Amino acid sequence: MGTHIRRALPHAAPIMAGYVAIGIPCGILEAEVGIAPWMALILSATFYTGAGQFMLSNLWLAGQPLYAIAASISFVNLRQLLYSAAFAPRFQKVRRGLAALFALTVTDESFGVNMDRFAASEEAAVMSGDAGLYPWDAADATCLNLLSMSAWALANCVGALVGAALAIPTAVASFAMTAIFICLLFGRTFTKTTVLVGIVSAAGVVACKLLGLSQPAIIVGAVLGVAVGAVFDVVRGAELSVPETAEEALADEERYSEGVLDAQTLAEHEDEPFGGGEA
Amino acid sequence: MSFSEFLLLYVILMTTMVLSRTVPLFALRGRELSPRLVAILDLIPVAAFAALVANDLMQPEAWATGNVWQALVPLIAAGGVVVVARKTGSLIGCAVAGLVFYVVLGAIPL
Repeated sequence: MGTHIRRALPHAAPIMAGYVAIGIPCGILEAEVGIAPWMALILSATFYTGAGQFMLSNLWLAGQPLYAIAASISFVNLRQLLYSAAFAPRFQKVRRGLAALFALTVTDESFGVNMDRFAASEEAAVMSGDAGLYPWDAADATCLNLLSMSAWALANCVGALVGAALAIPTAVASFAMTAIFICLLFGRTFTKTTVLVGIVSAAGVVACKLLGLSQPAIIVGAVLGVAVGAVFDVVRGAELSVPETAEEALADEERYSEGVLDAQTLAEHEDEPFGGGEA
Repeated sequence: MSFSEFLLLYVILMTTMVLSRTVPLFALRGRELSPRLVAILDLIPVAAFAALVANDLMQPEAWATGNVWQALVPLIAAGGVVVVARKTGSLIGCAVAGLVFYVVLGAIPL
């Protein structure tokens, strides 16, 4: 466990710093609606969602009925369905308990960093030619989630304890999280498909917000982007076909080096050389 | 908020959150995922990041105040962060740069 924590900590640190900065104002807001520090701690360590917890306090202060608050927050949290699905291929052989602990502690930020780490590890494995080389594993990813969650829960509890004595401008702290998302988005290698997915997703969010549909904006934008990207891939055709000949396998390598083919697909093709390994 | 109200809200929210966080992962576990499905699932991160960034930067209420400069601050700061992200790829570097850009630009009295 110590090894996994040591491996996860450097990658969790930026998230933890951001969570401390945002978690304290969130705790202050929770105290304002009558949530005790111990309740804030439990809420943050289990429910564990920044957007949801801010919404909870704000909607309560706005006088919204309890079931409307629950429905609104649950709707916004539907994006977790996408995150959970995205991790599924990488958790096929992970113990059920560890997979559950991981899944229950995913947030926007930890989703981003873990996806980035898994992709970097898989790319390194492909480049080194060692298919078994996956330095970032499920235990590392879970440790990253738990470290981030600890920072969030403690910051919420401190915020609820000290109240408004600690004045942290939430907008400024929130922008640190936005900057992390920007880094995760623009720090990657793009293909034609991912550029299209990014543009459509962002446009979907903007359109939703202009129509006054702020709450479902993220899930609608993301689903729209994935759908358009999937259709685009189907129209383009060849990317996913397993190479039938040595020449096609060579073309696979070239497409990977040009950024057209992703590392995972290349690895799958190499696992099944020449149409399923029968050649 | 009374304890009973908190408890009811907590139970409802936890139920929907646990289902959202676990059902897809466990529903797809142990199944042979087709390359097509894996490719589609691989599109989720970029879609999610783009949606989250757009959601943070697109603030109609900021434009509604009429203070164009204050509405532009996050967009310009985000542009600076993109440059840092492309050059360094560092999460901490981007977070710090983002904060600096945001605070400095926000302090300009326009």
